[in-house]
Amino acid sequence: MTKTKTTQSPKMAVSLGRLKLNNPVMTASGTFGYGEEYAGYVDLNKLGAIVVKGLSLKPRLGNPPPRIMETTGGMLNAVGLQNIGVDAFIEEKIPFLRQYDTKVIANIYGETYDEYKKVARKLSSVKGIHALEVNISCPNVKNGGLSFGSDPKIAARMTRAVKDETSLPVIVKLTPNVTDIAAIAEAVEKAGADAISLINTLTGMSVDLKTRRPHLKNITGGLSGPAIKPVALRMVWQVVQRVSIPVIGIGGIMTAEDALEFLVLGAKAVQIGTANFINPLVTMEVVEGMKNYLAEQKIKDINEIICTFQP
Amino acid sequence: MAGNIYIGEIIANEEIQEDCFLMKVRTHSSFENPLPGQFVMVRIAGLNDPFLSRPISVYAFTREANFCTIELLYRVVGKGTQVMAGLIEGSYLEINGPLGNGFETENVKENIVLISGGIGIAPLSMLMENIGQTARQASAVTMMYTGFQNKAAVVGLDKMRGICRDVNVCTDDGTLGSKGFVTQIFEKDMKNFTPENTSIYVCGPREMLKALAKILNKSKFDCQVSLEERMACGTGACMGCAVAVKDKEGAFAYKRVCADGPVFNLSDIIWD
Repeated sequence: MTKTKTTQSPKMAVSLGRLKLNNPVMTASGTFGYGEEYAGYVDLNKLGAIVVKGLSLKPRLGNPPPRIMETTGGMLNAVGLQNIGVDAFIEEKIPFLRQYDTKVIANIYGETYDEYKKVARKLSSVKGIHALEVNISCPNVKNGGLSFGSDPKIAARMTRAVKDETSLPVIVKLTPNVTDIAAIAEAVEKAGADAISLINTLTGMSVDLKTRRPHLKNITGGLSGPAIKPVALRMVWQVVQRVSIPVIGIGGIMTAEDALEFLVLGAKAVQIGTANFINPLVTMEVVEGMKNYLAEQKIKDINEIICTFQP
Repeated sequence: MAGNIYIGEIIANEEIQEDCFLMKVRTHSSFENPLPGQFVMVRIAGLNDPFLSRPISVYAFTREANFCTIELLYRVVGKGTQVMAGLIEGSYLEINGPLGNGFETENVKENIVLISGGIGIAPLSMLMENIGQTARQASAVTMMYTGFQNKAAVVGLDKMRGICRDVNVCTDDGTLGSKGFVTQIFEKDMKNFTPENTSIYVCGPREMLKALAKILNKSKFDCQVSLEERMACGTGACMGCAVAVKDKEGAFAYKRVCADGPVFNLSDIIWD
């Protein structure tokens, strides 16, 4: 019998300011439902955090179909933030999520400052919610998210508006569909954001050559999946150099190696999105894969590799 | 819905008609018995192109002592099914399933009418295998109306003839059976059935379902249809496979074909 190795499992906990996670792997909003959709596949206790589907003040019908289209190395979606609304979420979904020892982050969305504020206020007093993620970046809804996220002044004003309503940590999720994402990041940091997550989807299109019409009823949609990872890495890199609040890397993560690239650049945590659709077990595989990598590299604590990039 | 991820070994993948394949996949015995109308998400592990898994309805399912065999009848229509068609015996697939809600078969009425278009015959075949035996014993009428584009596109017919008392075949061009759309053939026979003692089960392309909805409009027939839609996750998370329906209160809503369906009451579907 070979001698059993006594190497300790590497430490995986990370801190995003006040928000402490058991590990850096979170689910991205809109790709993991309200958690229960994946509870049969994944031990939710083993996730760093669950970011739930974007919540608005009132339930939203969403966009007419077709809403999705496969692309090379990814997919386009124009779901249009279909959701049950913040009240139904608090009543029907939170009790389920409270059973788990994992952080729950409510992603919020509105069409006006006032709507964002109301949603934030409603969620702030709810037991079992550990942070808010403000979606100022969804490109799908006309007159909606895009304008908030594409101008530093408006993004800052929104950040302050939400901060005024809550004592929970506020994460601001940025859109990549801007000229200078670091300028937006700086603006929301100054406005009091506790953390920044990026990137949301890249606006894209797809044409049906049989009909010469768009594949999506909405014409444009948000591109996600491994195709966008290099863009996401570049933007995370630009942002971490300009802000000192924690950054959460999102965009095309399919494997532990993908996630580690974001951490090396300086992200404190990552969110896994579209990969959940094609592999419901991916979050668990990424956590395990990270541990294996650290063990192989003889690194005892995940924090030792964060922000170790050598340009 | 109780899907789970399984590795399946392909034990057969045969082109039984032009561009139409019957794939047999052997998987672990813990795979739950799929209900007729349920589907699986299929993908080649590790392959990112095609990127998404493909939803395929279960055509047949058998259980042995140590393994299960899932049969998938599919037509090559795009990138995903093209890749599936190229897989040889001994290769492996990742299977998530069984998913969705199958046909409701608790209250099957005396007469069973099945209406299919093209490859839509697959879930109805499984349905008849499951409920046909009891239905036959009860000496009920089991009437199948099945339509295809042409003779070369006909699949699953021999098996259906073995489990369904009457099978009416039609083709758009008349190369096999009657000439015309399956909905037209059914409409001619409709007077033979009464809503009180007839259950109708349907699967086929959207245009066929739409035509049927017009024919059955305002009738009281209990008609369940299995829908098809592009999907990303198959488990209810992505909200990609939306279909417009009347909800319980009669209000307009988008439901998920994967998790709320794929089987819906025809009368609930809103056609633009």
